Amino acid sequence: MGQTMRPPAGKARVAATVGFSAVLALSATAQDLRRVVDETGRRVVVPVRVERIVSLAPSLTETLYALGVESRLVGVTDWCNYPPAAKAKPSVGQVINPSLEKIVALKPDLVLGTTAGNRRATVTAIERLGIPLYGFNPRSLEDVLLAIPTLADLLTVPEAGAELEAKLRRRLEAVAARIAARPRPRVLFVLWLEPLMSIGRYTFVHDVLVQAGAESVAERPEDWPRLSLEAVLQQNPDYLILAHSPAVERRLAALRADPVWSQLRALREDRVIVLDDAVLRPGPRIVDAIEQLAHVLHPEAFEPQ
Amino acid sequence: MSPSVLSRTRILKVCVLLLGILLVLALVALSVGAVGIPVGRIVRALAGATTVLSAQDELILFEIRLPRIALAMLVGAALGVAGAAYQALLRNPLADPYVLGVSSGAALGAILSLAFAARVEITTPVAAFVGASATIAVVYFLGHRSGQLAPYTLLLAGVITASFLSALIIFLMNFLSGRDLRGAAYWLMGDLSNASPVGLGWLSGLVLVAIVGVYLVAGDLNLLLGGEPEAAQLGVNIRRTKLAVYLAASLATALAVSVSGAIGYVGLLVPHLVRLLFGSDYRLLIPATALMGAVVLLAADTLARTVIAPSELPVGAVTAVVGAPVFIYLLRRGVGSGGWR
Repeated sequence: MGQTMRPPAGKARVAATVGFSAVLALSATAQDLRRVVDETGRRVVVPVRVERIVSLAPSLTETLYALGVESRLVGVTDWCNYPPAAKAKPSVGQVINPSLEKIVALKPDLVLGTTAGNRRATVTAIERLGIPLYGFNPRSLEDVLLAIPTLADLLTVPEAGAELEAKLRRRLEAVAARIAARPRPRVLFVLWLEPLMSIGRYTFVHDVLVQAGAESVAERPEDWPRLSLEAVLQQNPDYLILAHSPAVERRLAALRADPVWSQLRALREDRVIVLDDAVLRPGPRIVDAIEQLAHVLHPEAFEPQ
Repeated sequence: MSPSVLSRTRILKVCVLLLGILLVLALVALSVGAVGIPVGRIVRALAGATTVLSAQDELILFEIRLPRIALAMLVGAALGVAGAAYQALLRNPLADPYVLGVSSGAALGAILSLAFAARVEITTPVAAFVGASATIAVVYFLGHRSGQLAPYTLLLAGVITASFLSALIIFLMNFLSGRDLRGAAYWLMGDLSNASPVGLGWLSGLVLVAIVGVYLVAGDLNLLLGGEPEAAQLGVNIRRTKLAVYLAASLATALAVSVSGAIGYVGLLVPHLVRLLFGSDYRLLIPATALMGAVVLLAADTLARTVIAPSELPVGAVTAVVGAPVFIYLLRRGVGSGGWR
């Protein structure tokens, strides 16, 4: 899968343990419990047969739908807008500050959270209320992919998980094969404009860029490095990449009118890519974002031969 | 109203009135939320009936709402009294519990605990309290002159310390990960949403100590506000009175900020509101401010968790949005200048 994948030693072990207990689960009753260690290192006791799930992040909601277990999903957040059917599920509020009361009222036997959106304080509070919370910690594309079988095993649908993961990996390999010999354009992923923020080396968004055949100009150790405009001018990236948001067109118009920004090669040559906001969600659609970006960066690689 | 004509009966009457309002409000706050629970059932459950609530309602009521309501009341009372005490100590109607940097010290402690959470086992409230206490000591050291707390020296020392600490906070926030950054931002706005029954006993005991501490010197504060030489002639130990007020008010602020972050406007506004309604005698002002602070913050927090339920607003945003217009209204009525004494 290329040089971007870091060895996921710890997580692979956890996933394997969960997988083993999932086999035991087939003969279990609803009251049976098992111990697992989540991706943040917390010990969690979850029912062997999970029936009522509250998802605290859009990416996790998307994964649940992709695994076909949405009938067991009883609560989502205000931000869970994909697939559209998710918007009809009862909401527990915002990702950053969900209502504890609402979560309790939905009687979940498992809450799913992620370090990519939820606060530590929320996790502590849910723990205190005696509701098991399994936390995901997506730091790389490989983490995002491995979370799928982990979640599938937790929900005792290991086949669905293995199938979805394999399908996504096949799509990634197809992209990788197409762009293998292509030169890598240097890109700047703009996470935020005022102040200018990009994404660092150890984020799954960075891996999206690399997997799509690009090279990020912001190779920094911080998650969301703040960049100086001077540095950006000096690096003069070939492409500017933004995630879609309602204000993105207005922001781009402002950049094109700006005396400094307008001098960047990417803007002069109109090489600005607006990606679906799925690029910021560590769920299965991350592969859509990679394919979308690869097609724009390397159109000739995808022409029919 | 001059101190001499204030009777105990009047203090008692005002306190009973405010306590009544507080209890009614608490009952309403217990019954509303993302999940509605009828007041009748709550009253019966509180009276000892065991079968009126489902297990789920019981969890919501006793593990989520009750601790949160108690926390809102304690923090509101602490902030109100701290504000009234600082306004007297600094002779400044604009003084609030945060003007001397106690909240910035607490915020620095909290953010350090978030930044080093992986390496140091210390909970955020404890770290915040340590930061606040250190700030209280530093500001006292910088703000006293020949053993006396001089209002302007103290105020300047506090303001400078606060801005220095804020600069450190901004510096540190650059190094927080995305998740902790969100946590820190919420903390800075003031937030009661994750209240827990753990430690509530300690908190209420210490808040009570701080409030009683200010109340014990309330009579001396009245005299002090009439002028220091006159107060000294009447036998007030000025140095001791000021130190007691400084320590008690700072303790109240440190406690409040450590458990809830920096909730704005309550400490500034509530003392003015109480002066407008009941006069400015500190013997009445202190208990009335404590109760009114509890009422105001509980009302604000109940709004914060219900107006866009199941989503929540940070309570600091509610107190600021409601607080600023109310403050302007009070100012226009002349309370901000004349009424505070």
